[in-house]
Amino acid sequence: MTPKNNLVIGIIIALVVVASYNVDANPIEFAEGLPNLAIVVEEMLLVEPKYIPTALWAMLETIQMAFIGTVVGTVIALPLSMFAARNLNSKYVYAPVRALLAAIRTFPSILWAILFVIMVGLGTFAGVLAIVMYTIGFVAKLQYEAIEAIDPDPVDAVSSIGVSKWQLIRYVVIPESASHLLSQILYMFEYNVRQTSILGLVGAGGIGFYIINYIKFFEYGKAAVFMLVVLAAVLFIDWVSVKIRDKYIVKSQHGMEVTTK
Amino acid sequence: MNDVWTSYDSKNFVLEGISLSIDRGTNYAIVGQSGSGKSTLLKLMNGMMIPSKGTIKIDYVTPNMNNKKFKKMLHTIGYIPQSLGLIKNITVLENILIGALPRLNTIQSLLKRFPEHEIQEAKRIISLVGLSGKEERKAYMLSGGEKRRVAIARALMQKPTILLADEIVSELDHVTAHEIMNLIADAQKRMNLTAIMVHHDMQIALEFANRVAVIKEGHKILEIGIEGDSIVDFQTGNINTEEIMEMYADDTKK
Ligand SMILES: Nc1ncnc2c1ncn2[C@@H]1O[C@H](COP(=O)(O)OP(=O)(O)O)[C@@H](O)[C@H]1O
Ligand SMILES: [Mg+2]
Repeated sequence: MTPKNNLVIGIIIALVVVASYNVDANPIEFAEGLPNLAIVVEEMLLVEPKYIPTALWAMLETIQMAFIGTVVGTVIALPLSMFAARNLNSKYVYAPVRALLAAIRTFPSILWAILFVIMVGLGTFAGVLAIVMYTIGFVAKLQYEAIEAIDPDPVDAVSSIGVSKWQLIRYVVIPESASHLLSQILYMFEYNVRQTSILGLVGAGGIGFYIINYIKFFEYGKAAVFMLVVLAAVLFIDWVSVKIRDKYIVKSQHGMEVTTK
Repeated sequence: MNDVWTSYDSKNFVLEGISLSIDRGTNYAIVGQSGSGKSTLLKLMNGMMIPSKGTIKIDYVTPNMNNKKFKKMLHTIGYIPQSLGLIKNITVLENILIGALPRLNTIQSLLKRFPEHEIQEAKRIISLVGLSGKEERKAYMLSGGEKRRVAIARALMQKPTILLADEIVSELDHVTAHEIMNLIADAQKRMNLTAIMVHHDMQIALEFANRVAVIKEGHKILEIGIEGDSIVDFQTGNINTEEIMEMYADDTKK
């Protein structure tokens, strides 16, 4: 450990202390609050199983919202990512597209949800639109980074046949970045399920609507049913996507061991 | 190609005054040590790079990828880079069909609808390069020799008039290297191709080429012609096999 490292660590610790003071993050208050947590947990243990069917339906609705949002968002994000990739476009094309995507990403999904609730009213549609926007911002970014990271050799080899730019994208860029794409979509879907679960907090549909309402009325036992369903669903989706990834992605990523020079 | 100078960083020249003249139908070899500028020379010929100084002409056209007229010429210039540039996750057949892309219209190419005769042509070339039965293999599953066969087939699929190949057999064992070189030599003769091949091994070049240029540190230090068993040094006009053999033995040592 060099003195320079020590200094950096010291500065980080100091910043954490100052920031905690500023935001009123007080460990003592946390400790004092623990008994409250105990009460909540105790009440949550009074899980009311007769709400399980409702919770499952609400979760299904949430997953459907996340699914539509992910698919539509990805479909819009893909062409945008082609225009945002530095290795395929001139500065005049990629710079504005990137700026637009960056602007989209500055909004967390809950803010998009509020905006769309104002635009199209309360309900699931506002939530779907919020997820679409969020997905566009992130998938496009992940994807243009994947495109920029593809092996330049096939791009050069095929460009030197004198093919058109569209042919290059269709036959080199898409296949070379496809394995990343599948894993990104899976990741985005998992993430969107979690996000959609809380969009109900601002009235944009999904299971969060039930959770926030039961919590408001201190019905922790009912809220717990819904939260457990979310937990189970998220774990299940994680597990499924790990399976999918193992099956389709790990295999296709064995590189070509052509060594150069 | 006349008095060509090239630089990657506008300070150090990689090629310093190279002049070459290659006749149509020649089997031309460029030999030199690693870092002597061989790959750079090929990239100048297919317009991926443009010289800082000097002129290059292929049939009176200056190679430059951004020039429309030259881009059309590229359709029939096969280029096999040192790294081959195959697409890993698609099949042998799909990789090879890429060579036919310039002959497809926009709709066919966006929908991946290759006309039946192009698929037949690809299959013919696949058997020609000895890959029959491996059409549906993914490119990343192939051996080094097989990958080279795919790259050659993709270039042949272009119906090329010129074939540029960068150290295509350098990493292969002796037997496979000869199989691959024979394959190219056959195609070269049959299609009356102008083959321009870079090697770092002089032996291979002498065996297969009609002409060999030796490059050292960005200069052409020797150019020889081969007719049967006799070797002619074009710079001095000498026909002295032993002496030339000794010279290149020094110059192409790794
Ligand atoms: N993209 C590049 N950027 C900068 N320098 C390069 C680049 N490619 C090659 N060079 C340099 O140019 C010289 C010749 O390279 P190259 O043509 O690849 O040689 P060879 O193919 O004979 O091994 C080397 O000194 C190498 O370091
Ligand atoms: Mg090289």
